[in-house]
Amino acid sequence: MISLSSYLIVSFALFLCGIVVIIARKNIIAMLLGMELILNAGALNFAAYTRFVNQNLDGHVMSLFIIIIAAAEAAVGLAIVIRFFQIKESIHIDDAVELQS
Amino acid sequence: MFLDTMFLLSALATLGGALMVVMSKNLMHACMYLLLSLFGVAGLYATLGADFLAATQLVVYAGGVVILMLFAIMLTGGVEEFVNKFGINKIPSMGTTKTYTIGAIVSLIFSFVILKTLSPLFKNYSQADLPPMESTVEDIGVLLVTDHALAFEISSVLLLGALIGAAVISRPRKINGGSK
Amino acid sequence: MNDTIVSYLAQAPGYSLAVSKISEILGFDATGLVTFLVFGIAVFIVVNVMALVGGLGTYAERKISADIQMRQGPNRVGPYGLLQFLADGVKMITKEDVTPRDADKTLFFVAPLLALVGVFMSLAVIPFSSGFTLTSLNIGVFYLLGVSSLVGVAIFVGGYASNSKWSMLGGMRGASQIISYEVPVTLSILAVVLMAGGLSFGTITEAQGGLPHQWFILHNPFSFIAFFVLFVGALAEANRAPFDLPEAESELVSGYHTEFTGMRFAFFALAEYIEVFVLCGVCAALFLGGYNVPFGLGSGDFIIKNFPAVHPMIAKQIGNVLQLKVFVLKTLALYYVVIWIRWTLPRLRVDHLMTLCWKYMTPIAIFNLVGIAIWIYAFEGKSMLTLMASALSAMAGSGGGH
Repeated sequence: MISLSSYLIVSFALFLCGIVVIIARKNIIAMLLGMELILNAGALNFAAYTRFVNQNLDGHVMSLFIIIIAAAEAAVGLAIVIRFFQIKESIHIDDAVELQS
Repeated sequence: MFLDTMFLLSALATLGGALMVVMSKNLMHACMYLLLSLFGVAGLYATLGADFLAATQLVVYAGGVVILMLFAIMLTGGVEEFVNKFGINKIPSMGTTKTYTIGAIVSLIFSFVILKTLSPLFKNYSQADLPPMESTVEDIGVLLVTDHALAFEISSVLLLGALIGAAVISRPRKINGGSK
Repeated sequence: MNDTIVSYLAQAPGYSLAVSKISEILGFDATGLVTFLVFGIAVFIVVNVMALVGGLGTYAERKISADIQMRQGPNRVGPYGLLQFLADGVKMITKEDVTPRDADKTLFFVAPLLALVGVFMSLAVIPFSSGFTLTSLNIGVFYLLGVSSLVGVAIFVGGYASNSKWSMLGGMRGASQIISYEVPVTLSILAVVLMAGGLSFGTITEAQGGLPHQWFILHNPFSFIAFFVLFVGALAEANRAPFDLPEAESELVSGYHTEFTGMRFAFFALAEYIEVFVLCGVCAALFLGGYNVPFGLGSGDFIIKNFPAVHPMIAKQIGNVLQLKVFVLKTLALYYVVIWIRWTLPRLRVDHLMTLCWKYMTPIAIFNLVGIAIWIYAFEGKSMLTLMASALSAMAGSGGGH
């Protein structure tokens, strides 16, 4: 029987996968992949609560905005990555240390 | 019965895809597994009765984000250098055992926090009778232009900003001379 | 209007009887099982017929091109060379399955399947007739847009996986072209959604009528332009000439499927031909009245009124078959135009392609969208010809008054 908790567990596992990807990878694009996973976990939670707790559709609207923000983030993020690659010829996150010193 | 099967399949696709995004050593493969995972999430939305969300997920992710990711991977080359330009050893860009250990520890901490928050829900949650699924398209449309009109406008401005920003950032500039 | 093909068949008097009989034999409630089986059979039929249409598409392409260039075309295998595609298929199957040594083996295997899966998934919502729609989702158009973009991913991955310069260039061209042209196509479809007030193909088709003046293409001047924007965008999305840059023979050998042999190549080719059919079907359903048959023939009203002896159920079935025929006819007419364009116009250059998309078609599509919104607000959704007719009758009336 599927209930709220099964969806929450799926979204929780998705979130953890995203966290591990962001921390373990050193490639900027791979980190962006992890970000997508985390955003999806959040959006899934909104939809699950809408279905099982209060049937008003505000949660769906929030999920829509999350998807919109994910798209915008991917576009700008990848533009930055490509620009970074043009300048540094690398997409390793450890090469982005200009602001550190 | 049908919903249960659909949920199991979608959850399998989602979690399997996400796990393979974590494990895969090839960035291109990781991206394809991300696509699988996102399709699984779309299936989960469908089992939740969120038909419009599921379609949006398909349109935005399969049509846009994943192709953009593949493009970026292709344009930045799949090559991996083990040494940076000063000759110092770099951590391999797809991660090592060390980085994975750190990631696992951090995720363990996160999971403690989240499970602590969620545990009363798992214990005391009683399933009420669910209403039948209905079409959500009209209601979402109405909500977007009434209750959430401001957020809708702001998100359109955000998308316009992202469009222009992405175009400006990635535009090739002349190295010497030019506008500066 | 029916939600799925199963709910359409369930209207038949024998259906519930058969279900209860099967339940008795099996000892449990067989409704779900029967639904599943009926769906399976319907999907099997649709997929096989569509594969046949894809195969015949290659034949039609060769025959029509031969006609345009004053040649004979294939005429050896079967009557008029009709079985040529079967011969081609046998040849494809018996070819050696070559995988390049440096190819990405997994993705090389996945890419053709992904193309075919994306196209076949989009068949689920194509409105062949009011009864024979696999499922009339209430997000039909949106679903189709999302699913058909899988083909773009497949093309890109196919280009990457074969690890060859030609393929890579073809794949990148294909992906950039598909995601660019999705913008004007989506905006044009949005204009139709605005007119019909629904995302499902059923709603959109029912909002039109059987005769040309009731179609959305002649609804107002903006929608007339929007049809052509949609059609050109659909050509570009299906990688058809003059937008076949991803597989340009003269520049890129054969683009993203250079390295694919045998059945894998056949999968790509089949996916392309079926996608053309699907997109032509979408154009027909959105702008050309879809499955609507004029004079009430489609719903069976005409037959019921004029031939009372015929059982209403049979009249309805006749109407359904007529609807199916009309839809396929409109789609095939557009298919012919697509092939005709391919053998008439030269290929565009890449920068011309992008200029056409972003500097001409996208602004035109936005203009159309705004124009249609204003039209619907100003004239309360009445079509151009209705307004003209009422104006004429008003003039005639006032003329008679004097």
